[in-house]
Amino acid sequence: MKTIKIAGGQGFYGDSPKAAIAIAKAKGADYIVHDALAELTLSILQKDKLQDAALGYARDVEFLATSLYPVAFANGIKIVSNSGGLNPEGAAKKVAAILAKQGIKGVKIAVVTGDDMLPKLKEIQDAGIALENLDSGKPFSENKYEVLQSNVYTGAKSIADALAMGANLVLAGRVADPCLTLGILVHEFGWKIGEGVSQQDLDKAAAGIAVGHLLECGGQASGGNSYAEWPMEYPLSNLAYPIAEVAEDGSAIFSILDGQGGKMSRNTIREQLIYEIHDPANYITPDVTVDLTQVKIEDIAPNRVSFKGVKGKPRPEKLKLTIGLMEGYMSEQFFFFSWPYAYEKSQRFIETTKEIWSKLPLNMERSEFQLIGLNGLHGNAAPLPPKEVMDELNEVGIRVVIKHSDNRTGKMALQSLFCLGLNGPPGLIGLPGWGKQDKVVLSLWPSLIPRNWVEEKVEIVEV
Amino acid sequence: MKKIKLIDIASARSGDKNNVCNIGVMARKPEYYAVLKEKLTVEKVKAHFGDLIKGKIERFEWEAIESLNFVCHEALDGGASRSLRMDTLGKNFASHLLRMEIEM
Repeated sequence: MKTIKIAGGQGFYGDSPKAAIAIAKAKGADYIVHDALAELTLSILQKDKLQDAALGYARDVEFLATSLYPVAFANGIKIVSNSGGLNPEGAAKKVAAILAKQGIKGVKIAVVTGDDMLPKLKEIQDAGIALENLDSGKPFSENKYEVLQSNVYTGAKSIADALAMGANLVLAGRVADPCLTLGILVHEFGWKIGEGVSQQDLDKAAAGIAVGHLLECGGQASGGNSYAEWPMEYPLSNLAYPIAEVAEDGSAIFSILDGQGGKMSRNTIREQLIYEIHDPANYITPDVTVDLTQVKIEDIAPNRVSFKGVKGKPRPEKLKLTIGLMEGYMSEQFFFFSWPYAYEKSQRFIETTKEIWSKLPLNMERSEFQLIGLNGLHGNAAPLPPKEVMDELNEVGIRVVIKHSDNRTGKMALQSLFCLGLNGPPGLIGLPGWGKQDKVVLSLWPSLIPRNWVEEKVEIVEV
Repeated sequence: MKKIKLIDIASARSGDKNNVCNIGVMARKPEYYAVLKEKLTVEKVKAHFGDLIKGKIERFEWEAIESLNFVCHEALDGGASRSLRMDTLGKNFASHLLRMEIEM
């Protein structure tokens, strides 16, 4: 049976390229998939694009174009990514220029667009589509914030089309993470996706999505971020990323390269399978609804895991549209107190902070005080240590964080606290700039739109 | 009856989707799955997280991987892009759950 090897090369915009470069050098896969777009990433990219219209893509492609891509292309490996973000054309232009500068020729870069719904947002609403918020049920007409971006999660077809056009590198926009992998398999095996396909086709598509899901977070499937494997008896600094050898029937064998850190086991696959899944019987993607409840995961050899048993159900009628909104700002600052009375001093500091702020004209929506090392991560849910421990703490860190509607309140509120270095409880440590100021607060408006509003386009840029 | 911590019989991983956090809890041995199903009720999880989770919690049983999946709504202070928390993505919800005491 024909098999195709696909490696997960990147788990997020900013992930290390080392594992992918090692796979490319070792010819360890036919394809490397790069998922660059977390839920928030598009809004972050929109801020880049507003400052410079040539940006708006995941900028690590610029580095990958000198490190990973040349090795991959030389070894006949194709790269499939959604690194194009909000500006796949711009990404392709930049990458093409960087490749050309290195004297690399004969590369076809596919630009996949059509997910950007911002230009059509008004037209969609005018057509009577309310874009109800999936969480609150409210129509989008009730939104009161400025719209930053609006992208629809698209499926595998454009990826398969791009590969059929001979692409060595795909730079897509908001193609749903696991659909990058499914697109490769649709192209290689001629799997059918879309309306009215057979149960067998649905099962294969679902298997492709499951494999894509297991690859899309890079090292999280191969022993990274793992309580199952803790205390991790393998090196972490050169953690191998997962490689799936997928057969035409949808079954797969997961492995990692020899000689690197990490681990491939039923446990590491299991903990990535459950990551960011809600109902395991209904994992919804643009191409197929996936039932993961019958999966069979087996250790078949050291660092080799067999994966099968995924079932498919018809794809959803509508596609998910996410609208990024500009909601305001947040600012933070870190302060520290040492033994003695570290905890008591932190409490007095917080009390005094509130008194200072109560006398200032601040447009503050809310504030939080988190004690680093005590309740900074879990708030009230984390019980404080017993009194004898609290009395002897070496140090206490305080994160002061506020949300505000204008871009002057943060500075004023934080600046007003530095006098406590001389006027406050003894030994306050905290220098301006320890923390972010005026970080933009975005909110995401999730909704659904009919498929006929989405027109995807694939274009090839040749180098 | 002896008291153990969840981490003794399970591992866990959590992640975000907007304001929803899911916590996957995986039995360390197949025979522990029945214990998880019996002891790790929605009510217990809700109480363990207190203020951190404002909305409802759904529990999905996933026998094929001896796991339970808790889908926690209104759990991330509005979602990663709006949250004032340090753990904006809920990555440590798994850690907090593993601390839960269970009577065996």
